[in-house]
Amino acid sequence: MNPTIDYHAILPELILSGTLVVVLVVDVFLRPPRKWLAMPLSFAGVLAAFVATLTLIGADRTTFGGSYHVDPFAVLFKVFFLSVAMIVLFLSLRYFREGRYYQGEYYFLLLSSVLGCVMMPSSRDLLMLFISLELVSAPAFLIAAFRKNDPRSNEAGLKFFLIGVLSSAVMLYGMSLIYGVTGSTNLYEIGKALAGHLGGQETLALAAILFVVTGFAFKVSAFPFQFWAPDTYEGAPVPVTAFLASASKAAGFTGLLQLMFVAFIHQAAFWGPVFAAFSIFTMSIGNLVALQQRQAVRLLAYSSIAQAGYMLLPFALAGHGVDKEAFAAAVTYILIYAIMNLGAFAVVVAVSRKSSALLIADFAGLMRNAPLLALAMTIFMVSLAGVPPTAGFWGKFFVFRAGIDAGGIGIALAVVMVVNSVISLFYYLAIPRQMILVEGPEEPMRSPALVTFVAALAAAAVIAVFVYPDLIAHFPPLSTLVGS
Amino acid sequence: MPWLSVTIFLPLIGVPILLFWRGIPDPVARGVALLASTTTFVVSLGLLGAFDASTPGYQLVERATWVRSIGLQYLVGVDGVSLFLVMLTTLIIPIGILASGSVTRNVRLFMACSLLLETAVLGAFLSLDLLLFFVFFEALLFPMYLLIGMWGSGRRVYAAVKFFLFTMFGSAFLLVAILFLFSRASGQFGRGTFELTKLQHLSLPPATERWLFLAFFIAFAVKVPLVPLHTWLPDAHTEAPTKGSIILAALLLKTGTYGLIRFNLVLFPEASHYFANAVSILALVGIIYGAIVAMMQSDLKRLIAYSSVSHLGFVVLGIFAFTQQGMSGGVLQMVNHGISTGALFLLVGLLYDRTHTRQLDELGGLADITPLLAGSFMVAALSSIGLPGLNNFVGEFLVILGTFTANRAFGVLAATGVVLGAIYLLWAYQRTWHGPPNERYRGLADLSRVEITAVAPLLVVMLVLGVYPKLLLDRINPTTNKIVQQVQVVRHDQRLLARGGG
Amino acid sequence: MIRLPLVLFFSAVLFSTGVYGVLARRNGVLVLMSIELMLNAVNVNLVAFSQYVRDIGGQVFALFVIAVAAAEVGIGLAIVILIFRNRESINVDEVSLLKW
Repeated sequence: MNPTIDYHAILPELILSGTLVVVLVVDVFLRPPRKWLAMPLSFAGVLAAFVATLTLIGADRTTFGGSYHVDPFAVLFKVFFLSVAMIVLFLSLRYFREGRYYQGEYYFLLLSSVLGCVMMPSSRDLLMLFISLELVSAPAFLIAAFRKNDPRSNEAGLKFFLIGVLSSAVMLYGMSLIYGVTGSTNLYEIGKALAGHLGGQETLALAAILFVVTGFAFKVSAFPFQFWAPDTYEGAPVPVTAFLASASKAAGFTGLLQLMFVAFIHQAAFWGPVFAAFSIFTMSIGNLVALQQRQAVRLLAYSSIAQAGYMLLPFALAGHGVDKEAFAAAVTYILIYAIMNLGAFAVVVAVSRKSSALLIADFAGLMRNAPLLALAMTIFMVSLAGVPPTAGFWGKFFVFRAGIDAGGIGIALAVVMVVNSVISLFYYLAIPRQMILVEGPEEPMRSPALVTFVAALAAAAVIAVFVYPDLIAHFPPLSTLVGS
Repeated sequence: MPWLSVTIFLPLIGVPILLFWRGIPDPVARGVALLASTTTFVVSLGLLGAFDASTPGYQLVERATWVRSIGLQYLVGVDGVSLFLVMLTTLIIPIGILASGSVTRNVRLFMACSLLLETAVLGAFLSLDLLLFFVFFEALLFPMYLLIGMWGSGRRVYAAVKFFLFTMFGSAFLLVAILFLFSRASGQFGRGTFELTKLQHLSLPPATERWLFLAFFIAFAVKVPLVPLHTWLPDAHTEAPTKGSIILAALLLKTGTYGLIRFNLVLFPEASHYFANAVSILALVGIIYGAIVAMMQSDLKRLIAYSSVSHLGFVVLGIFAFTQQGMSGGVLQMVNHGISTGALFLLVGLLYDRTHTRQLDELGGLADITPLLAGSFMVAALSSIGLPGLNNFVGEFLVILGTFTANRAFGVLAATGVVLGAIYLLWAYQRTWHGPPNERYRGLADLSRVEITAVAPLLVVMLVLGVYPKLLLDRINPTTNKIVQQVQVVRHDQRLLARGGG
Repeated sequence: MIRLPLVLFFSAVLFSTGVYGVLARRNGVLVLMSIELMLNAVNVNLVAFSQYVRDIGGQVFALFVIAVAAAEVGIGLAIVILIFRNRESINVDEVSLLKW
């Protein structure tokens, strides 16, 4: 057998791989003052990959013997991950240029992680999923610890690494058992095998699913595996945190979506309640702890845990006859969340130039010193809380709707989420309160043009998606991943 | 001409100018906001002209698909209930802008917030799609939060956060209830919808209907506010800047009572009957409690804030009497309260700009120094009390009459509320303006020309509506008549069912 | 020929030992080795199942796991060395500047 490879289907990945090699090599020949040129180079590569992905819109191609699938779901997320990568590159330029960092290596590692993200939504095979996940995580461990002389950054890296590796090991163990039960690593075939009669291996299959879910729960920082996230987010360089909180987390969710809705969908009656519990605890713990935070990045970290709880909610609805709707709700939420979260981190990057401690109190008076940033940040916070007129409202709306349509436990979950959303207002409002209502020292703030641009762009996007939610909500239902 | 859309979105035109023109001089910013809001008022006069008084249903309906995938429509329409609330909104906002001369910080943001608020309030009053209503209903929170938090006095941040959280808490459940209706609609009609007139025909089991009624009711009761959900109101009112108080009293509270008529009664008639007595009792408690607490206040603004609790109790009482007089009286009172209390807050604000205190025991004897201000306050207070010949009289009379025919005890209790109202307002008037003049206040300026332009329209409206309430009632009655009939039919059906079953 | 349940039992024991090591050991290098044990349990599983279901995929999977495990240990050691340089200790419990 001589397998033919569909090079068009994997063109974005090829371009990215090429770029990251080029970045690494070129970096060697650049003199220190020019090292920052690695960023435009990386950007060009990502942009090329982005264009290559756009040519795949509407495609439905499989390659590598069915383990790599480019369908609308995959393209949607590839476009999304590459956009996030561009934004993170924008945020990184000044941050890494002004600190004393190895810039070439940073961009190399960032791009590797992005490559993993881009591969993730196409992976329809346990092995591919595993490799993508490792490719996302392994470079991320290093860039989280990239502030080499700061013990806090070291700690961020170590915790992230230990938890990450432990969770991969648990997940792999589950995968090996699933392979044993079904005799295949392909997600579709696993789905078929698990739909049939399993005989005495039913329990083993359920245990294996639990192992895999646990592994992913670490990645998406679901309770009770959430404790690494705040530490890592706080210790890592801020642009890296922005990447971890949006792309890396979304990558975890795309993997989870494919596993749950394709491979394990017939066991939904078993894992649905598990996800219900995950969802409730994750959002409640995240919100309650966030209430006590004084440091902006930690606040956003706990908020991102709470938000993960909202994203997990649609999983709990699987098997209640609203699979397609729940799936679309989860995807829509992940995308909207990433936009508003990236925007918020852009503002944090700008403020971090003024005060590296990044206490919430450091935002005082921002409305006067940097009105545009303050306005944007207010929009992001309102959006994260899910209040109109912002995109976050629709994100929550679709999740609520799926929950209420599912009836029964879905309504209960929706009510829990509503209560949580109200609680979250307390801390989301804390930042606008500091920026607008509290008088701060008057010192005009100069933020890098690229960072301001990102913040303004994200704010505009948040409003635009509110006005016309089909901008985002239109795509997830097109996905052919989940049968109606 | 699409009267409604133009009215709703016209104020928004000023917002980008105010937000993005950084160096805009303050007077120009005021001018822009004033221009945008007065033009809106003029347009709304056109709307009034286009309104056909004889038809009870929704008029001037505009419909467009907004989000196809979830059946969300941009659907607006006006009827007798919303018409004068819209007029009130477009009238109050420019007056508020005129009266905010004391705002000197961040003028352009202040003006932008005012205009955003106007759009959100108008949108809420005119939406006939539940989700659209919800969006506008929520969208008005944040500008209001800023208005209180940035330009308020004293414990403004506390008041702003309290206001935001209370109202968010209420409306969160509203969203779940709306989505539940949507989900039921997709089950019964084969296609989900948020359209009010379609959801009216949804058949719901009584228990479900009651739960939904409560979810809607809590959201609106927080806004009205009904005791015991009223605690945010005195704080918000007291700390808000003058303009904020005016908007709160005249407009925001009305979104609550309006929601009760528009959604609770129409969507859940059976549950409305079921809860009618309980709601009426809450309203009565509000009337009397508000009046008694108002009597004990030493801060003039807080006193008026509590008087709002009392007055809004009348509105709710009238609505839940399910008689045509009660309902019409309730709707009329919404408008009247907006004008009278709006005027009172405006005048207190102007007084505060001069004396820098609102404590009743520090004021006194000001009638000689600022006669125009005192006279205006007198008229507004008398109107608020319900003196015949001024606007509130007719509304309160109708409410009490309507309640009396439905339930005598409630009617009598409501009447005592009017007496209490007279006591605390006259007492406050006397303590502020009469008595020995305080030396400190010698030489205070009386109303300036701009201020007169702000106050005069309200006083004129009070007189006109007091003498000729038919102007409003002719347009309100057909609609309230229809709503009352709809609700009565359901009660009738229930009786028949009960009899048939027994 | 060794029967499948026996192999699975062996790998389960190996995996549990690894989990215990990760949770109980304080020395950074020993933690890394415990993780290695867990991954090897996975490999044993994969190869055994591959034999059992007569499918080569499992063995390929195992090869990938070995390669990735090597990379991960490399990263882990790099981070542990970094920490050793900054604080002269590789005791993972002492790394606790960040709390709540």
